[in-house]
Amino acid sequence: MNNWKFWTCLILAMVPFGTFAQDTLWLARGEWTQIPDSVQALRFNANDEWSGVNATLTRPVDAASSLVVVNLDSIAHTWKLEAEGELDWDLAALDTIVLEMPELQAGAYRFGLTDEIGRVMGASGQLQIGLEADYAHFHWNLGDWSVARMVAADLGLPIAWNEPYVPEQFTINERTYPAVADDPEALVAVSLGDTCLISIANHGFMDHVFHFHGFHVTMISSSHHPERVGWSKDTVPIRMGEVLTVQLVANQVGMYPVHNHNLIAVTNAGFYPGGMITQIHVAP
Amino acid sequence: MSQFRTFALVCALLSAAISHAQMQPPQLFSGMEGYTFLPDGTAIPIWGYGWVADGYITLPGPLLEYTEGESVQLNFTNPSPESHTIHLHGLDVDQANDGVPTTSFFVVTGGEATYEFEANHPGTFLYHCHVTTTLHLTMGMYGMILVNRPDMTLFEGGPGYSENAPLLFSDLAMETNLSAVQSFPFHDIRPDVFMVNGVSGDQLEQAEHIIDFEPGEPIALRLGSMAYSLLHLNFPEELNAICYMSDGRPVPEPFAVTDLEIFPGERFTVMIEPEAGWDGHIGCEFWNIPDQQLEEEQFVHVRDASLSVPDWGVTAAPVGFPNPTNSEIRWLGPASLSVFDAAGNSVFCGPLNEGRLEVSDWANGFYTAVFPDGTHTRFAVIH
Repeated sequence: MNNWKFWTCLILAMVPFGTFAQDTLWLARGEWTQIPDSVQALRFNANDEWSGVNATLTRPVDAASSLVVVNLDSIAHTWKLEAEGELDWDLAALDTIVLEMPELQAGAYRFGLTDEIGRVMGASGQLQIGLEADYAHFHWNLGDWSVARMVAADLGLPIAWNEPYVPEQFTINERTYPAVADDPEALVAVSLGDTCLISIANHGFMDHVFHFHGFHVTMISSSHHPERVGWSKDTVPIRMGEVLTVQLVANQVGMYPVHNHNLIAVTNAGFYPGGMITQIHVAP
Repeated sequence: MSQFRTFALVCALLSAAISHAQMQPPQLFSGMEGYTFLPDGTAIPIWGYGWVADGYITLPGPLLEYTEGESVQLNFTNPSPESHTIHLHGLDVDQANDGVPTTSFFVVTGGEATYEFEANHPGTFLYHCHVTTTLHLTMGMYGMILVNRPDMTLFEGGPGYSENAPLLFSDLAMETNLSAVQSFPFHDIRPDVFMVNGVSGDQLEQAEHIIDFEPGEPIALRLGSMAYSLLHLNFPEELNAICYMSDGRPVPEPFAVTDLEIFPGERFTVMIEPEAGWDGHIGCEFWNIPDQQLEEEQFVHVRDASLSVPDWGVTAAPVGFPNPTNSEIRWLGPASLSVFDAAGNSVFCGPLNEGRLEVSDWANGFYTAVFPDGTHTRFAVIH
């Protein structure tokens, strides 16, 4: 048994078995085949099997818990939960740590790597607190990707921050359209009369704005604009680093697109349609 | 050949308009042979929408106004060489009327369609083509929709206003518009023309683009964006600006506003009640979203009406064709007219030769024709 597996097993044995679906995150580096360039990416996986999609954490309201983070990467990173107090932890290379998660109110929170390489290579996700109690819940993790920056980060080369930012790929839950439609967390499939929640987190390097066809949604929470809670919108900005939750009431049947209305982001390497597009399917 | 097609199109549209004028509601058409002109006179090709009765497309498309509670039938015909649609942005229409070709339908070349919806919510909305949206929007296929209440209040129980002032923000990349068929990829498009109601720079100082107010009479600014850029608006304190609505819905708590961000596709309704005698501008900054760089600022002029000069009438004017033209334009009806260029300079005044006005040696640009009865219309000269 190699070193990280030994320590992971030891720590897991020491952590009381909780009631949560996901108590451990594995930070791994691997090939992200969703885009044609097949670049190397960093992801928080739900187990030690590589996946190009970041895992999602769920917790009940106002319950402290532990989270084990296993760093399978060969370099150190810093991990942050964007909640009150802005909680940071250092992740040494090939190390495993146990994080004591604070009690949090209902809502969606962003977590992810804050070091330069970790951000560019895309290890980030959502912590959802008490959002699945009453309604179906979907989530969209938004990402914008510059292949040149990702390659530089993977190779440990300087990242050209001073050059114009021209991302080629735009993703929802690390997928581009039309593959987004294969993701049950991104495709909002509900029945007439249903109410559902959608938590949207912007992990990218630019602001985004989503337009809902067929529906207005109600703002339930926002990390950056809490004064907009209660607003009814069909076009919702999600600023860089923001996480928000909207409520949708499916009051008409049919298929309705939801897409970024900054039209550079509905392309795959520039070609339409692609990128940040998903759909709402309302069955009779 | 291009002129012949334009002439034939205008004749066909005029014929249709005359024969059905008494029984048909206004009908939009889509065109792909229009032009807009920059302040320096540069002609930029556009695609867009126009009224069939007018026979020409505009940037942005015509303002569509409806009354709350109205059952709307929007008739649309597409004589252009490509398929188009009308997406009714923010009106929450059903799938069949949503204007997304893959889930609704295409309106193919030579086709017609009627979009139907209930105007249940007063407010500010948009419309645009949803076929190859990146390209068709950049080329200019968009406009604004207002749903008004008969009592001139913003919404039930909301504040009253004296008039609407629609401000539709958009941008374009000249390289794309000048070579639409080679305009891929789109992820790196970088607009270089930044517009308010389709014009920019000094053009915003033309009388039709200035907001004249009467002291004590609030004006509802209908703000919407079809731009790639992020808009950042700066309202001087003397405007007493209050934001009441966003995306066609009242905001729970209206708020005083001195600066406001508008993302692509968003709308806001901001009421202004400027101080008497005020004469100033609303700053409209266009920011590149990926780079977070300020690209350009436009200025919307707001002034006390007592400081303005009389404007021309806005009743129906004769239609000239072909429009645009490069040789002559023919008018049905009037025996004489006056013509002014975009800067307001008189370039012609006198009788027409059998309805014809020779323009072959005129500069590229938009011109305003003023007729003896006081009506006026615009036409374009492009060589």
